[in-house]
This record gives sequence, C-alpha cells and structure tokens, in this order.
Amino acid sequence: MKIPWFYFASPSTFYRLAGWMAPWFFVLAALFGAAGLYVGLVLAPTDAQQGEVYRIIFIHVPASWMSMFIYFVMACYGGVSLTFNTRLAAMMARALAPTGAMFTFVALWTGSFWGRPTWGTYWVWDARITSELVLLFLYFGFIALANAFEDPRRGDRAAALLALIGLVNLPIIYFSVVWWNTLHQGASVKLTGSTMQIQMLWGMLLMALSFWMYSIGASLTRVRAVILDRERRTHWVRALAT
Amino acid sequence: MRPHEFYIWMSYGMTALALAVEIVALRLRRARSLRRVEEERDLEAQD
Amino acid sequence: MNVIAARLPAPDSGGSFSAAFSWAFARDMRLAIRHPGETMLVVAFFVLVASLFPLGVGAEPQLLQRIGPGVIWVCALLSAFLSLPAMFASDYADGSLEQMSLSPQPMPGWVAGKIAAHWSASGLPLTLLSPLLGLQYDLAGDTLLALAAALALGTPVLSLLGAACTALTLGARGGGMLLALLALPLFIPVLVFGAGAAEAQASGLSAAPHLSILGAGLIVAAMALPPAVCAAVRIALD
Repeated sequence: MKIPWFYFASPSTFYRLAGWMAPWFFVLAALFGAAGLYVGLVLAPTDAQQGEVYRIIFIHVPASWMSMFIYFVMACYGGVSLTFNTRLAAMMARALAPTGAMFTFVALWTGSFWGRPTWGTYWVWDARITSELVLLFLYFGFIALANAFEDPRRGDRAAALLALIGLVNLPIIYFSVVWWNTLHQGASVKLTGSTMQIQMLWGMLLMALSFWMYSIGASLTRVRAVILDRERRTHWVRALAT
Repeated sequence: MRPHEFYIWMSYGMTALALAVEIVALRLRRARSLRRVEEERDLEAQD
Repeated sequence: MNVIAARLPAPDSGGSFSAAFSWAFARDMRLAIRHPGETMLVVAFFVLVASLFPLGVGAEPQLLQRIGPGVIWVCALLSAFLSLPAMFASDYADGSLEQMSLSPQPMPGWVAGKIAAHWSASGLPLTLLSPLLGLQYDLAGDTLLALAAALALGTPVLSLLGAACTALTLGARGGGMLLALLALPLFIPVLVFGAGAAEAQASGLSAAPHLSILGAGLIVAAMALPPAVCAAVRIALD
C-alpha cells in the first residue's frame, strides 16, 4: 500500500487538519491544567523551608521546560524547511516562535518573583538565568529576522538558519547547573526518578503537560493564520473567506 | 504565609495574563488575515 | 577598489580550502590596508568608549580595577560589533560576493579567509591595544596578560559569530538594530568567559579554565561557523 506520507505537507490540507485538531489540544490543556493546579495548589503540602511561595514552581519549571522544548522543535522545523525546501515547515517554525518567547518570559518572570522571597533577590546573573535571557533574545531575533525581508521565503530560510545556530544555547541552559555552582540547584527530576515529594512532582508534570498541549494548540492556530497570509492569492483561500 | 501572597499572585497572575494576551492576539490575527484575504479578493474582482 | 576581484584564481585550478583562504585573506587585507579608515574607526571607538567609563563612574582606582576587565571587554565587543557590517557590505553591493560564490573555490575557504582578514583588521588591533587601556584602569601585569590572552582567543569567535549574523541580515530591513539583536546575545558567552578570565586572574585565581573554554569555543566556532556563514550567504544571494 502506498502511504501518502506527504499528504499533510501541503498548506491547504494541513490548514484543515490543524483546524480540527487545535480545539482538542486546548481542551486537553485545560484539563491537564485543572488537574495540575489542583494537585499543586490543594494537594501538595506546604514546604518546610519555603512555605507557600514554593508553589510558583508549578508554573516556573514547566514554563522553562516549554521554552527550551519549543525552541528545539522550532529549530527542527527550521532544519526540515532548509533541507527539503518546504514552505509549511518554515510556517510552523514561525508559528512556534511567539509561544516559545511567551513561555521564556513567563519562566524569567516567575523565577524572578520566586527568587525575591526565597533567595533575597529579583535577579542574579547566574549561568542558567543568563542563558534563559539569551534564549528570549534568540526568540526575538528569530521573529525579527523572519519578518525583515520583502520575500517571506528569504525570511523563512534566514530565520531557520539562525534557529539552528542558536541551538547551542540549549545545552548551555540545561547543563549550566552541572557546570557551575550557582543559585539554581542540580536536577531534581531525572528519567530514572526524582528526589521531590510525589505531589510536587505530579503537580509539575501535569502543568508541563498542560503547557505542552496549549503550545500545540496555540501554534496550530497561529500557523493557520500564517497559511492564510502566505497563501492568500490561491483559490482555496479565496474560497474560504466568504 | 501572608507576605508571600504578593509573589504568588504576581507569578500566577502574569502567567494567566500572558496566556490571555496570546489567545486574544491569535484571534485578532486570524480576523486580520481573513480580512486581508477578502480585501485582496475584492480588489482583484474589481479589475 | 573591488577590481581586485578580477584577479580570482584561475577557474581550472580546481581549488583547495587553503588556496581559497589565502586568496580571500590577501584580498581583504590588501583592501583593509589601502583603506585603513575602518580599522582606525574601530580602534578610535574602542579607546573613546573605554575612556568614557572612568569619566562617568569616577576615577577611584579600586573601582576602576574592579570594573576594568569587564568594561574593556564590553568596549572591545561593541567595537567588534560595529565593524561587522563592513565584512560583506561592499562586496554584496557591487556583486563581488555573487562572483566569489560562483567560483569553483570551496566556499568555506574564501569565507574563512574573509573572516580572518576581518579579525586581523578589527579584533587583532583591539587585542594589541587592550594592555594600554588596562593601564588606564590600573590593572596589574598578570591581569593585563590574562585580558589580552582572553581577547586574543575571544575576538576571533566574535568575528565568526558576527560573520554569521551579518550574512543572515544582508539586505534586510532594520539594519544595525537587527544585527545587534542577533549578534549580541550570541556574544554573551564569549563576554562572560573572556571578562571572567581577567577577573579570575585579578582576584588571585587562575585564568586557565576560562582561557581553556575560550580556546575550545574558538576551535568549535572555527570548524562549525564557516559552513553556516556559507549557507547564510547563499540564502542572501538567492
């Protein structure tokens, strides 16, 4: 049987697919979010040292995870678009960037407001925070570069290359807590197990799932708008706007 | 602890705000794209 | 002035990396020597901005010693950044870049040659001048040495990263601001380790770990970035 691998690589077919998928991802995001918030705010006990303020972790850590993961996915789409010279992969990369930037900002903001009561300062230039800030600038640079050209395809390619060059920042963020002894502690969550309290862990994981589902929903929604903009001169788009 | 409520509110509040802003922006963007498609189509129909 | 491009290596000479490298390096160095304005501006900017800080924060020796390595590094970084557009601008404008990309010479070769020449005309003078500025900040001898070594290892990385960003933004709207948004975040790790090397030396620790990381970064950048710059130039020329 000939499997039509590339059926959805066309903007027109993907537009419809994304259209019916996106709402479901938002529903999942809401469900996981509700569960995560319940576990995190109601079930998880008060921390012995930090009191209630540690509950910011249920936003801060999932948002940080998403900020890095979305960048990675964005760079992968960029790589695919450069390798196969496709339009849709580049459009997906563009669609992911604003959501990634938002989560990076949320990670920095929540980290800042967790840091003040717990470690005494809103900001410190430790390796992880600094590289997360660099990540935010990389997102801004990606968005700016993609939109800096008359020809959107040129913008696609340049931004894709930039995303790939900036990939080197992700290991720096991830391993910075291993390489330097600064404010951020070492990894408490590994694939083999965790040293945290079980409710705290589950709260974080559920919120991470929620943010992940939300990111997919948001980027699918955004890519539909990007497709409409790019393909606005085609028959099928013209037929849509009636 | 009472004094820490401010920090929790600022964090969760900003997150909720960021998500809300993004969703609103998405809706606005979709509306703008559709409007742009209509305008161009109407312009060309005039030719 | 770009008539030098007419003397491209013979098309049937096959082309090796080193031939392309030395051709591009010689060409750009010749251009830089004949038009030293660019290098002079880089150096003048470096000295000028480094002189602004003591005037702004007060000339207390202890304070200057403390901030010296970092300030000198930031000034060097900004000077290197300001010299970036010139790397490809005139060649892009008059079509030489397109001609060079059509030649059978391996592209990473002549791109690396251009970057090396750019560094020789910007980063190298900054490195050589840094001890003098360090004296203005009352830095000790071993700190000056660590600072110069860090700049010697770090400024080529800045040229390499800057080349990639410059090539990406050729012909883009937003000009210098866009280049700043792309290049400066990528410069940050170099700055952290470069200034850290001199500061470590100044506080009695060894600068060796920082310099090792800078060296490693230079090797990785020198291997990985020329092909990336080639890809960016090809994107720009399409």
